[in-house]
Amino acid sequence: MKEDWKPLRQLAMVIDLNKCIGCQTCTVACKTLWTDEEGMEHMYWNSVNTQPGRGTPRDWEGMGGGFENDVPRAGRLPSISEFGDVPRYDYERVFSEGHGEKEFLRPKKRPDWMFNWDEDQGAGVFPNSYFFYLPRLCNHCTYPACAEACPIKAISKRKEDGIVLIDQDKCKGYRFCMEACPYKKIYYNYVTRTSQKCIFCFPRVDKGVAQACARQCPGRVRFVGYLDDERGPIHRLVNQWKVALPLHPEYGTEANIYYVPPIGPLRNTEDGNFDPSQPRIPTEYLVSLFGANVKPAIETLQTEMDKRRRGEKSELLEILIGWRWPDDFFSHLTKDPVEAGGGLS
Amino acid sequence: MDRRDFLKTTSVTVTALSLSKFVEVGCERPPEAPTGPAPTGTWLDRQRAKWTWDKTYFVTHPQDCYPGNCSWVGYVKNGVFWREEQTGRYPVVDPSTPDWNPRGCQKGCMYSRVTYGKERIKYPMRRVGPRGSGKWQKISWDEALSEVADAIIDATEEQGPESVIVDEQPGQGGAFPHGVYPPLRFVALLGGTMLDANGIINDYNIGQYMTFGKFHGVSSQDDWFKAELTLIWLMNPVYTRIPAYHFVAESRYNGGEVWTIAPDFSPSAGHADRYVPLKIGSDAAFALGVAHVLIEEKLYNADFVREQTDLPLLVREDNKRYLRESDLKKGGNEEQLYVWDEKGKKLAQAPRTKLALGKVVPALEGSYRVKLADGTEVVVRPVFDILRARLEAEYGLDKVHAITGIHPDVVRNLAQKMAAKRTNILVGWCPPKIYHGDLMERAMCLCLGLTGNWGRRGTGVRGWTVLADMSIYTMPTRSGGSNDFADTVTELGRLVTALEKKHPGITEEDAHIELENIFCKLIGQVPPVFFWYHHAGYREVWNRKEWGDTAMKRTFDEYLQEAVDKGWWDNYVRPAPQIEPRVYILCGSNVLRRTRGAPKRLLEHLWPKLKKVVVVDVRMSTSALYADVVLPAAFFYEKAQLHSITSPHLRYWAFADKAIEPVHESKNEWDIFALLAKKVAERAQERGKKEYRLRQVVDINKIIDAFIPPGILGKIGDKLVRGKALKELQGFYGPTRTWENLHKRFTANGHYNAGDGEKLFDDALVILRKGGTVGSDTTLEKLRKTGFVKYTGLGRTPHGLNVATDVKPNETVNPFSWHTQKKIPYPTYARRAQFYIDHPWFIEGGEELPVFKEVPKAGGQHPFIMTSGHLRWSIHSSNVANEFALGLHRGEPFMFVNALDAKEKGIGDGGYVRVFNDVDEFTVQAKVSALPRRGQVIIYHAWDPYQFKGWRSYDTAIPGMVKWLHLAGGYGQFRFWVWNWQPCQSDRHIFVDLEPVRVA
Repeated sequence: MKEDWKPLRQLAMVIDLNKCIGCQTCTVACKTLWTDEEGMEHMYWNSVNTQPGRGTPRDWEGMGGGFENDVPRAGRLPSISEFGDVPRYDYERVFSEGHGEKEFLRPKKRPDWMFNWDEDQGAGVFPNSYFFYLPRLCNHCTYPACAEACPIKAISKRKEDGIVLIDQDKCKGYRFCMEACPYKKIYYNYVTRTSQKCIFCFPRVDKGVAQACARQCPGRVRFVGYLDDERGPIHRLVNQWKVALPLHPEYGTEANIYYVPPIGPLRNTEDGNFDPSQPRIPTEYLVSLFGANVKPAIETLQTEMDKRRRGEKSELLEILIGWRWPDDFFSHLTKDPVEAGGGLS
Repeated sequence: MDRRDFLKTTSVTVTALSLSKFVEVGCERPPEAPTGPAPTGTWLDRQRAKWTWDKTYFVTHPQDCYPGNCSWVGYVKNGVFWREEQTGRYPVVDPSTPDWNPRGCQKGCMYSRVTYGKERIKYPMRRVGPRGSGKWQKISWDEALSEVADAIIDATEEQGPESVIVDEQPGQGGAFPHGVYPPLRFVALLGGTMLDANGIINDYNIGQYMTFGKFHGVSSQDDWFKAELTLIWLMNPVYTRIPAYHFVAESRYNGGEVWTIAPDFSPSAGHADRYVPLKIGSDAAFALGVAHVLIEEKLYNADFVREQTDLPLLVREDNKRYLRESDLKKGGNEEQLYVWDEKGKKLAQAPRTKLALGKVVPALEGSYRVKLADGTEVVVRPVFDILRARLEAEYGLDKVHAITGIHPDVVRNLAQKMAAKRTNILVGWCPPKIYHGDLMERAMCLCLGLTGNWGRRGTGVRGWTVLADMSIYTMPTRSGGSNDFADTVTELGRLVTALEKKHPGITEEDAHIELENIFCKLIGQVPPVFFWYHHAGYREVWNRKEWGDTAMKRTFDEYLQEAVDKGWWDNYVRPAPQIEPRVYILCGSNVLRRTRGAPKRLLEHLWPKLKKVVVVDVRMSTSALYADVVLPAAFFYEKAQLHSITSPHLRYWAFADKAIEPVHESKNEWDIFALLAKKVAERAQERGKKEYRLRQVVDINKIIDAFIPPGILGKIGDKLVRGKALKELQGFYGPTRTWENLHKRFTANGHYNAGDGEKLFDDALVILRKGGTVGSDTTLEKLRKTGFVKYTGLGRTPHGLNVATDVKPNETVNPFSWHTQKKIPYPTYARRAQFYIDHPWFIEGGEELPVFKEVPKAGGQHPFIMTSGHLRWSIHSSNVANEFALGLHRGEPFMFVNALDAKEKGIGDGGYVRVFNDVDEFTVQAKVSALPRRGQVIIYHAWDPYQFKGWRSYDTAIPGMVKWLHLAGGYGQFRFWVWNWQPCQSDRHIFVDLEPVRVA
């Protein structure tokens, strides 16, 4: 039952899309730490995509999974080509095999999709183009469809903080979890022949250190902490101010990565004026991603930003500014990794 | 519900899953990947074991990533540099702003992978096939250095040492004591030619330089937070200022407003409050429209305008020149300019030694009759009045609308906001790369000047500067040791005092600029423009008037000849036209990637003259592929140094420790050039060569006399300063030099040999301590423990003094407060922020005031305009061809094409296009996007040409024009000194056409 999965406390993350600049430092930080091994080349446990876009795996939003009215929804296994290629190159051939200008450095096999393929393509018609960056990782769902789907119960949700983990000793690589996950954030390791995904940096979390994607984010975009910590930024942004929303709430898994929706610049008119009559990023598009609650969330944000521009104080914006790193961002996970000494110490 | 429900709902069974389809992504792993003992225990333990390490080091990435200085921790595991993570320990600077953590970006996060990348150069190589054939022979270091040494000796014998050329390229490896510093020291002592860094890279905000006499108005990035209005204009900080963009985002949340002004809906437009989609190249017209409103609606700050700018200065109506004392009386000072005192109703001298006006209230409007020395009467008007009339006549908002496509309401709105709000313009290094970018910057600065928007926190415009430029200072070392370095600083201080005495009224800043000018002559640091003109085939390109300024009344040749004849560029035409360039040393410099139009010019015109092209680099670059000798250099984590591109843009300078031994057979640059100096001396001795003479001799006595005439300092001063300086300089930079001395001087008489880089670095830190830039306890040992150091002052170097402000420990840094608050003059001809330039050439070109000029048709009459900027994915080309990095985008170069244009042209997303114009053509993948405007294609640099078919990148279609006006001289700020006044190549707004093609 749904309640069976409920942890004692849930560790959650808020990602502010008004600050995210799509640099993928989170992606690289995650990759060098966890997935830079044979069998994991195609894995980007954390990735950032330009929205609107087809994302990674390509068109993942149409692949099903999750729940509809608490009933599992059919899901599809993304193919390797949908995850996208990780091109390899023949450097020697260009540099030193005597072919000269006849050979140039290019993928041995030309990719037609990669995880960040549609970067900065956006939508709309110039000058009313629009786009924003959307970082994604495992949502460590309150109601994890992946775990429900695992026939051998290899997937667990930690009681103490709700981190969802695939037991690599148990996993047989059936990949039902990949079908069931509506966010398509589980990958298959072809060497270990197991399914793998973001572990929410549990070795770091256990030592009081924030996740690599959060701690290494130069945009200071990510907040982490317990959802029920009333003094912490997560609770205040999600529950008190209601400006941070889960992605695709209709997937029914109660995702625990929340997003502060983006507010784009004013639209432009044909003759080069500003057009405040409607938002640049269409509201219906944001509703399609974050549900109907995105409307009041944006209103709240805009009201508070207007207030601040008039010189008034805004408690909400004080949180979003994040004056002091790491204290204002990472709740109890503010320890320095060097001082923490690593996962085994 | 339970798992069985899930099984029911899925259509795929366990057996239907194919494992094989996952195998195709398999790849080779670098053999260096850390492995270690097989982990035991449960998978949780194994996972925890992954996040362990043996040792940590503080590191950074000392390259030309401005301002860089991100402090990282390097984690070393089993002898391998495993990964990096930001240190995240910068203490709070200004309590009223957010802090600086965790400074870094995705590039900084992946150099562990670049360190072991397949593009690294592994060992010294000699070319055995034709240039560019990819046929190499592995050779020993000794063989390689002998070959280079012989080439240098041959070149010096045949053409003189100035035929040995080195780029002052900030490059891959830092600046001190590695990276660019050793080759510069080597070539300066040799008497070779050193091509100025800003000349070759062109990050030279020349419009700001024209206005302020410097382009160094750099605030600390936390000051961006304090802006009430941020204008992102000709910059794309979302790509290029990843570590600091948060200050902009946070400022927006703190009540600030952000506007992005760009022809495309740039990646930096997404997070703005307002986006201004102006037409390509119309920026100056837009800014002048704003200036128009500021004056028309009387929104300008009259006090600021009167005191800080040249707008009250009087200009003669008859010849458009300033009214000068020499006009008014015989023998009068030519540089003394005038204002009209409204109070006294008479002429008043514009003070030259301070900005404060005293009781004088200069008129901003009106015209006045003045009697000249010859008895004639002329009408004079304040610059402001001329400007007002010009703006009214030519920049009415309807006209601006037609030029820019921007509605008058928007222009008016911006003017009103600029007048009311602390405004910061975030401009990048895009303007210098636009042919008429100088006019754009001058017009932007005009808006700031009219609204009093500099010299206060949260205001200003951006350039760049470095502090504590150790490489220049440490050039002449006698015996090594920190006392020796300390003496250099002391002597420099004496020289400045001497200069200030000689020229009463000049500022410390002026004096340092003069010294830099002299020093460049002595060490052979020159603008590359003459080198390109005479030796690299650019002459014919620059004479194509239709690709440049159509207002040119004469040919480019004629202007260049006049500039040289008038002595404006004495000592800087190097190598001389009759000298053939012979040896080109590229240390971390990818000249065939960077130089605009390189394949058509450098390869076809310069390369055939060169007897030896030597590349010292960490990675195979296109320049390395066309070289004769390639030497592997150690990378960031393989040598100890400070991030030497130190800058007031941030408050902490990061240290890079040596975390691992140089990989493969690479060596650090200090060692390479110390060994080369030794080898040159050895080979010369073996070949019976002892002494050589310079062909172009710089008369040191003459230079010293011009600045510090004998007697001016008294007897003791003469002996201490003049005597010592002369002797020193003669010793190092005299006309006759020996091969033995080259080695001796390079190593400071054997004090710093190969292997002594760390000692040299530690000793030289005294310069920072003594200059007041860092605390007195800053040593190599301490840096190793802390990873970074907070600067305490900007130092007494020209580039630090150019910032012209005091550093307070707990406040943001904002430039030019010495001008606005202490009333110290600007280093310009007018001694004020100068918008009116009465140099005869500027009047001839119609640019005495900022104006809008049409985008020149560089490349010919073609329907598309190619624009550019820095790629998100690399710092120059340092990691652009790395396999790990390539996996993060499309795996190869791409060019953005507007979706509607693509449809019309039949170009599919991901398909290839042939891009062509009258210069050349290249092939690239098209990325169809909603972001560019119609008729615009965007290719971000710096892809390496070998990533393109035939090794021809977009650079090949760029003519590489320079603007003739930038050859002007003999006028205030218009004289070369390091990284300053000189023509640089433009590369933006190139006219092209495109068509879809298939690539086999």
